[in-house]
Amino acid sequence: MERLAKLAMATTVALVAAAGSALAQVKELRIGYQPSPIQDASIAMFESWGAKNGVKIVKVPNSYGVYVEKMTASLTSNSDQYDIIWHNDDWGQTWAHLLEPTDDVNANKFADKWSMAPVVFANAQGQNTVVPMGQTFSVFFYRSDLVKPEEVPKTLEQLVTVSKKLQADGKVKFGYVGGMSMNNSWFSWFWSMWGNNCDVLLPPYERDNKKLAEAGWKSGMTEPCMQQTAEYWWDAINTHKIVPRGMPAYDRNEANAVFMSGDAAFTVADSLWWSTFNDPAKSKIAGKVAATRFPLGPNRARPFAWNDIWGWAIPKSIAPERKKLAKEMLEAMMLDEEGQLKLWKATGAPPPNTTFWPKIAAADPFMALLKESVLDSPDKVRGAYYFPQWPAVHKAFNDTVTKAVTGKREDIAKVLAEGAPLVSKAAQ
Amino acid sequence: MFGEQQRFVLLLIAPAALLLLLFQVVPIFIGANASFRNWALYDPKKTWVGFDHYAAVLSDPAFLYVVLPNTFLFMALSVAGALLAGLALALLLNRPFRGQKLVQTILLVPLMVAPVVAAIMVRWIFNDQFGIVNVVLEAVGLEGQPWLVQRWSAFGIILLTDIWLWTPWFTLLLLAGLQSLPKEPFEAAAIDGTTTWRVFRFLTLPMLRPVIVVCVVIRAIDAFRTFDIVWTLTGGGPGRATELFSLYAYVHAFLNLDLGRGSAAAIVGGLIILVIGVALFRLVDRIAKA
Repeated sequence: MERLAKLAMATTVALVAAAGSALAQVKELRIGYQPSPIQDASIAMFESWGAKNGVKIVKVPNSYGVYVEKMTASLTSNSDQYDIIWHNDDWGQTWAHLLEPTDDVNANKFADKWSMAPVVFANAQGQNTVVPMGQTFSVFFYRSDLVKPEEVPKTLEQLVTVSKKLQADGKVKFGYVGGMSMNNSWFSWFWSMWGNNCDVLLPPYERDNKKLAEAGWKSGMTEPCMQQTAEYWWDAINTHKIVPRGMPAYDRNEANAVFMSGDAAFTVADSLWWSTFNDPAKSKIAGKVAATRFPLGPNRARPFAWNDIWGWAIPKSIAPERKKLAKEMLEAMMLDEEGQLKLWKATGAPPPNTTFWPKIAAADPFMALLKESVLDSPDKVRGAYYFPQWPAVHKAFNDTVTKAVTGKREDIAKVLAEGAPLVSKAAQ
Repeated sequence: MFGEQQRFVLLLIAPAALLLLLFQVVPIFIGANASFRNWALYDPKKTWVGFDHYAAVLSDPAFLYVVLPNTFLFMALSVAGALLAGLALALLLNRPFRGQKLVQTILLVPLMVAPVVAAIMVRWIFNDQFGIVNVVLEAVGLEGQPWLVQRWSAFGIILLTDIWLWTPWFTLLLLAGLQSLPKEPFEAAAIDGTTTWRVFRFLTLPMLRPVIVVCVVIRAIDAFRTFDIVWTLTGGGPGRATELFSLYAYVHAFLNLDLGRGSAAAIVGGLIILVIGVALFRLVDRIAKA
């Protein structure tokens, strides 16, 4: 009996020691992400670092459709399911209190300052909570075989006239195509709205939550500029017929499919589509695509751009040694020049380390264009709002403008007025 | 307390009852608890708010004048459509013909397709630029339509998809019902020279009625909570024109991350379907007794 007790004790000690040792020597890091070219390229850098340092990188893909809710549930339940997760400016403030501060990732000093602004990613204590993966923003793509650079529309009005001419000449079926349905607002509604001195909430372009609260979370839906924007798209669809009639229901993939099939001369899409648009295996317009600044509405004269990051974050709830290892890996990723060049080539998204940008721009005209027109632009707007209710505000906005553009033209003002309190209420 | 036989029966029931308790009953209580609290998914304060969420749901014009009418309309048309199509197919399959087994197997294919996959396929079929429907329309000289942009065409496509998915289920059960009917009344009708329509109207339909009613009750309750095909096909759009009850609850709970409001909406929907379910079961009971 005594021997049996000793054996049990020895086994217990051995098991505890083994468990402790396994905990001390972290051998794997689990990445919660959504499969996409930019994330795949970034994870490739993790894997390269992991191979050198004996750390297994476990990839846990998640569907984009349920990513935020699933990850939010994971973060609030303090689970240790992931060591590193994909993070995004849209959720910067939703998750800020649930994430490990990353101020001690030294290489963050090479990240783009605008994209890393405290209003986006800082927690209540002012600590940063992200490490960038790459820059994501949209640009105005056009068919370089159909339109010379000097003929590219600079205003929304010119977008109509140039489109109609191309259609009349039988060059393309449509002038413009872009995603318009919920969560695809950037590719039609937002760029045309921001380019017309207009915004979802007032004052336009304000992202300081205190100032928005002081303004009573007033929506911009009843502003004349918003009516102009809705009427512009109504006319583009029904009167000028420069865009597909089905566009109000398009997501980004459907819009990009129309552009890549050669049926439209212009589109707005994330710059990271550059490689796909130019991939002959996927696109009929490969080698015939260029990009430029957005056309502007009648209320704005200065060009604008938005520039956000996709990034990586570390859940607050994981063990300290895992946090340490995750930060080491993110630090290495930020300094991995070769990996970041591959990310650029695979996607068309500027890499996270800004010190690599001049070198890439010197070798690649597309990066030179992005650098000049977006990354170094003094006229930037922010591509989202940074409070937890932003998804509800975005949905209320998109529901309203979709109803306006799919109804009668004479009802647009009425529909926008009905939607205004819903947008405002969703923000509070 | 219990006899040997009763203990054995309880033992057999226990695993299923335990699973039901853990994965059905407990989540309902957790959801009900959340519906009375300030429970944001990103910051679950869990402070008691009483019936605030219920009041917000029940006074929301979108819930009352868009979501509920859409849900009831969808429930009625989807069940009626699939029942009629399923009954027609079951009647066709109930008479022997060459290749009957093959046709029967092919007709069951939609049952094997995941609703989300079916919805993605249908979305592309009705795409205004690449969809086969517009290609066919344009080939015969008609104008292609932006199907998912208008309320009623989008709603019709949702219905069509749901009916396509559920028709085989009705076919299968109604065919089993048809094959279990006694042959004598039909033989007597044949000797009397009764027309096919009169045989269907006065023999087949009345004798099949209990099976039909059970199918309708089960499917109606299920149709009330339809989510996947609507979310994938239209996301409730254009705007909120095709939003159903389940989408309303989902958007509040998981898009707006407001678990409290979403749970309240789900409980309200649960109570509505409970009332409908009880009414339908009473109907079944009355028909069975008749």
